[in-house]
Parts: sequence; C-alpha cells; structure tokens
Amino acid sequence: MLETTALPRKATLSPPLDTRHQVETPEGIDLPLRPAGLMVRALAFAIDLGLRGLILGLLFIVLAFLGKLGAGLGSILLFGVSWWYMVLFEVLNQGRSPGKQWMGLRVVQDDGTPIGWSASLLRNLLRFVDLLPFGYFLGAISCLQHPTFKRLGDLAAGTLVIYREQPLTRPQLPEATPLRPAFALTLPEQRAILAFAERQGELSEARAHELASILAQPLQVPAPHAVVALNGIARGLLGPA
Amino acid sequence: MRLSDATVVIRPRTTWEAMDLGVLMSQRHRRLLMTSWAIVTLPIFALLSAIFWDSPSLAVFIFWWLKPAFDRLPLYILSKSLFGETPTLNQALREWPRLLKPQLLASLTWRRLSLSRSFVMPVVQLEGLHGHAREQRLQVLLQRNAGAAQWLTIIGVHLESALWIGLMVLFYLLLPQQIELDWSWQTLITAAVQDWRWLEHLTNAFYALVLIIWEPIYVACGFSLYLNRRTVLEAWDIELVFRRLRQRLSTTALTLLLATILWVPGAQHVWAAEPVITPDSPRLLDQPLTSQGSKDSIKALLEQPPFKNKETVTRYRFGEEKTDTKTADDSKTPEWLKALLALLDSPRFGFLATLIEVLLWGAVIGGVGVLIWRYRDWLQAFVSRRPALKSKVARPLPQQAFGLDLNRETLPDDIAASAESLWQTDPRAALGLLYRALLSHLLHDHHMALKTADTEGEVLQRVEQLQQPALLAFSKTLTGHWQNMAYGHRLPPAHLQQELCDGWRTLFGPGAAH
Repeated sequence: MLETTALPRKATLSPPLDTRHQVETPEGIDLPLRPAGLMVRALAFAIDLGLRGLILGLLFIVLAFLGKLGAGLGSILLFGVSWWYMVLFEVLNQGRSPGKQWMGLRVVQDDGTPIGWSASLLRNLLRFVDLLPFGYFLGAISCLQHPTFKRLGDLAAGTLVIYREQPLTRPQLPEATPLRPAFALTLPEQRAILAFAERQGELSEARAHELASILAQPLQVPAPHAVVALNGIARGLLGPA
Repeated sequence: MRLSDATVVIRPRTTWEAMDLGVLMSQRHRRLLMTSWAIVTLPIFALLSAIFWDSPSLAVFIFWWLKPAFDRLPLYILSKSLFGETPTLNQALREWPRLLKPQLLASLTWRRLSLSRSFVMPVVQLEGLHGHAREQRLQVLLQRNAGAAQWLTIIGVHLESALWIGLMVLFYLLLPQQIELDWSWQTLITAAVQDWRWLEHLTNAFYALVLIIWEPIYVACGFSLYLNRRTVLEAWDIELVFRRLRQRLSTTALTLLLATILWVPGAQHVWAAEPVITPDSPRLLDQPLTSQGSKDSIKALLEQPPFKNKETVTRYRFGEEKTDTKTADDSKTPEWLKALLALLDSPRFGFLATLIEVLLWGAVIGGVGVLIWRYRDWLQAFVSRRPALKSKVARPLPQQAFGLDLNRETLPDDIAASAESLWQTDPRAALGLLYRALLSHLLHDHHMALKTADTEGEVLQRVEQLQQPALLAFSKTLTGHWQNMAYGHRLPPAHLQQELCDGWRTLFGPGAAH
C-alpha cells in the first residue's frame, strides 16, 4: 500500500499529482514505477552519444591503418554501433545503456516487465522519427507533454523509462530508550515516525522540536521531551537491529 | 499555506524526480500557463521587433534578457495552484504588474546569468526575502540541490536551441520548392539588405514561440526543485502525517483515556525485542534433521550434476606470445606491429577484404533466402496468387458458352445454308446454329477472350470494342432474337430468316463456314 499525503476529499476532485506510475499485476499487487522525465533522459542520452563517439573515433583511428579493408570494416562498425548499441545494451543489460546506468535509469515494458527484442528495436528505430526535424524536436515535445514522459518511440513500442530502485543504506537512528506507543499506529504513521527519527540529522533542531511538539499532546509528554519520546517509539518500532 | 491542501503528493524525491514533478505540474495547467505567457510576451516581442527593426539580433537579445521578468507570472500561477487556488487567466494577468516590483533590477542585471535562477526565484517572489536574509536562505537551499538546478538550466539552454533550430528547419522544409530554389543560401548570407530583415524577425519569432512551450516548464521545474528542497529540509511529509495523526487521536476520547492508563514511560517494551526469528536463524533444533543440517544437504545437492555441471577443459595456449608483446612494447614501434601492418597493406589483405565482402553479401543473400523459405507458405497464400493469375494469359479456349458447343469441327460447312434448311423444321436449332457459329467465329477468328462465365450482354460489349459496326449490328439482332427464342420461347418473325442468313453471308462470305 502506498500512502498519499493528500486528503481523500482532494483526491476525489482530481488525484494529487505524483511522479509514481502504478502498475497492477494480475495478482493484485501495485507496482510503483517512477517514470523518468526529459531532463535526466537527455543527460543519459548525451553520455551515450559521447561514449559512442569515443568508441567510433578510437576504432576509426585503428582502422585507418588497414586501407580498403579498414574502410569496409569501419562502415560495418558504424552501422553496428549506431543501430545496435542501444538495442543490445537494453536487451542484454536489463534495459540499461551505459548512459542510463550512469543516471540510474532503465527501460521496461509498460507493465514493468523486462524489455524484449521487438520492443527495443521498435523504440530505437523510431528514434529517427523523434529526431525530426532537428535534434529530437518531436521527441522532446512528446516527452514534455506525456503524463509518463514517453517519446514517440516509447509510445509505439509500449515501453517506459523508469528510475531504477537504488539499494537502501540502513539509516542511523538517534540513541533513545525504546518505547511502546500508547495508541495503535497505522503503517503510514509508523513510517512517518521512523522517518522522523532517520531524518533528524537533516532537520534543524528547532524544526525537529516543532514537528515533535505536534504530537506532544497525544503522547502525554511536555513539548520539550516530545523529540526524545518519538525517537523512543521509532527505536521500539525498529527493534534491536 | 496549508500543506494538507496541496495538489501534489508531498514526499522527498530525488532531484531528477522533483524536476519531473515540475513537468507534471506544468502539464496540468498547460493551457493557462501557455496562454498567459503568450499574452504577456508576444506583444512585447512585437514591440521590440518594431523598435529594433534594423538590428534583429538586438531585439531577440533584449527579449531573451527580459525572461526573468516574464518568469514571475508562471511562478505565481504555479504557486497558487499548488494549494488548489488556481487563478483564472484574467486574475493572473492583472497580478503580473504587481509581481514585477520586488527586486526586478537585481534579477535583470547581476542575477540574470545565474545558472540556478529558476531554483532561487521562489525565495524572492514567494518568501519575499531580500538582502542578508535572502543570502542566508540561499546558502541553506543551495547546499544540496544547486547542481541539479544548474543542470536544469544547461539542459534548458540546449533544448531551447534545439527546438529553435527545429522550428527553422521545419519552416524551411515547408517552403514550396519554387521559393526554395530562389533562396539559395548564398544570397541569404550575402544579402544584408533590407529585403531579408523580415526573415530574421521571423526566425526571432520562432524563439518566442519556443519559449511559450518551454519557459513555463522551466519555471515549474525550478519551483518543484525548490519545493522538494524545502520538503527535505523541513520534513513537510512528516508534518502532514503527524498533524493527521493528532487529528485522529484527538477525536477519540477513549483512546486518550486508555493512553493515560497504559502509558508506561521507560519500560523496556520493544516491539521487536523478542529474539529475532529470521529465515536464516537455526530452527527445528530438537529433532534429528535440524534446519542447519537440511540447509547443508540442500547445498551439497545443488553442487551435484543436475544443478551444476562442472567440466575441466584443457587446451593449449600460446605462452610465449605474452613475453613477445612485452618485449615489443619496450621499443617505440613494435616489430610485429610493423610486420602486421605491412601484411595488412599487402594485396593478400586486399583479397581478404574482398573475401569478407563476398561473405557479407553471401550472408545477406542467404538471409533473404532463409526469410523467403521461412515464409514460403505465407508468400504463396498472400503474395503469389495475383501475379500468377495475370501471367496465365494463354488460357485454354473455352469449349462451351451457354451450353453451346464452340468447337469449329462441330459446325457445318455452310452455316447460312444449313440454317435456312433447318429454319423450316426447327427454327430454334437454326437460330442456335447461327448464334453458335457467331460465337465460334468471334472466338477463333477475332481471338476474343470469351469466358465460360460471360453472358450474352458481355459478349455484345466485347463486340462493341472490336469497332466493326456491321458485325455489331448483326450480332445485336441475332443476340436479341436468340435470347427471345432461347429464354422466352418466342418465335422470330418469318422475314428474319432471310435477313439473318443474308447478313451472315455478307459478313463472312457466301460459303464461309466460320
């Protein structure tokens, strides 16, 4: 279950905007995908472009020594790199070309499954439509105006560029005596209390006190001790890990 | 500002995701943002173009320089709509002059070229900070997300130019060919005359159009970066949940009562304090097969053949080669490389190139062959039928039409005479004979492509195409009477016998059998 911070009454008007795109599996599980927008994709593409330029430049220098054979091999290489670079990386490297890998992106099908040959070929062939009339004009416009940031190739192939899930590091909780809260907490509330403890380092002290004092009254503690009490509850939720 | 009224989901995001949220926000209010931007900027652009008619670059430069002043309007709209109070177009436009006042000079002069312009704009416009307070605020905000804001501007610059050039190319592509011929690029470049001014101003106008699309998005991305930074700094998401929690708890007095009774401060009640049972901890310790034992035996099984096939491969390797390359590397130009290059330059390698070329072409041809073989059934079913029908030009001549035998050999020698003699006893047979003979004649002598499926009418149409009026007239009369006879059982008038037989003789000669 994903918590939303907007009130339900708002949600009926128009759902609050979020960068999450929910995909429901046949088993009734919601997969939250986070589609990646134009800016990060442009950067990933620039990295890929530079890398391809580098590969081709180096190999052309080598092939220049080989005369006619080199010219022939060079044109085969040019074909291979410009048409297959993206496809091969996407299919064989879990939807990640080096640029996408660098920027923490990957390509998947609309339903979150790994991308296959036909979809990858289609979306990369249609780059040439996205390129028109100059420098990804159509692709950029489409990417900026689509709710899940798809360019035309993505629309045709039914693919999605998403942020990869990054491995989480265990956050440090401030030291406190573990406490059991006096009232039942729902999952979003437990998460919020844990997040409060985890992110205390980033918050200014005054802000942390201000946040904690919101809950001082229900916790039955004086406002100055609310931070410690919340940290204790967070410790209690976390356990002796 | 009430966080609970926010129309976006508030949670800490990565910087790139925050920008994506900005794109989504600009998408939601796309129409309002773009029309208000266009209404504000286009008249100013027109005015600038009119004033600086003789120096178009200056006009577009000033227009570009004024962008921070225009940017305040989209930011106002976005900030209002964030909490559900989307202004109307009228309200927004009326608000713009007031928005311009704070620190306009600064944002148009020494802050104009700042790369994180969109990110820090809300500090001045929404928080109303200036001087030292602003400096401090920026210091805090820019601690983390400065890089992302700068990237946003850099990407924006490139995107603007790409879209601008794209519009120009599109314009050039849509020119009629005749005009395009007249405008050779040389004349465009050399002609610094008055005539081409309008073209330069048109190109500038493309820039103004590009900004209508891009600039609101840029402002929205900067704004959402700012929102995200503040969400992280001030833990807005946590505040939201805490406030809701307090609301929930204060509504239930019973919970409060329970809380006072059950509250045990300092007790070592840790929810998860019991010995942690994870899948990895040893279990089932009181029986012969413990969890550890079973795990070990599973591991041992997994190492064995059906799951893992170990294979020892022994092969020769060129051990000396390594040392060879090492020594070669020491000298500036290795001997073996020289030799290799000399070898590659020799005609023998020209032969190798040809060989590879042949192989590649062979692969292409082979691939096409395999494709055709793979889809042979499909091709037979869907591709080959029509051409095959067309190629069947030499179809066998039909032996029969309307049940009449068209073979020449079955016809008597003198058709007219036979018909005359038959007429008295069996007029049907006589007419039939005449019609049959006509068809046979058309088929064999005029090489008319008669088909068994043709009707009498279609035969007449074909005769028409032969362009022989006499033959056509005769065929028409004969066909008409034959149809009357055959299908209507109506006898032809008596004088017709003579008419038809004479007609036959004049057309095909007195003794003409065919």
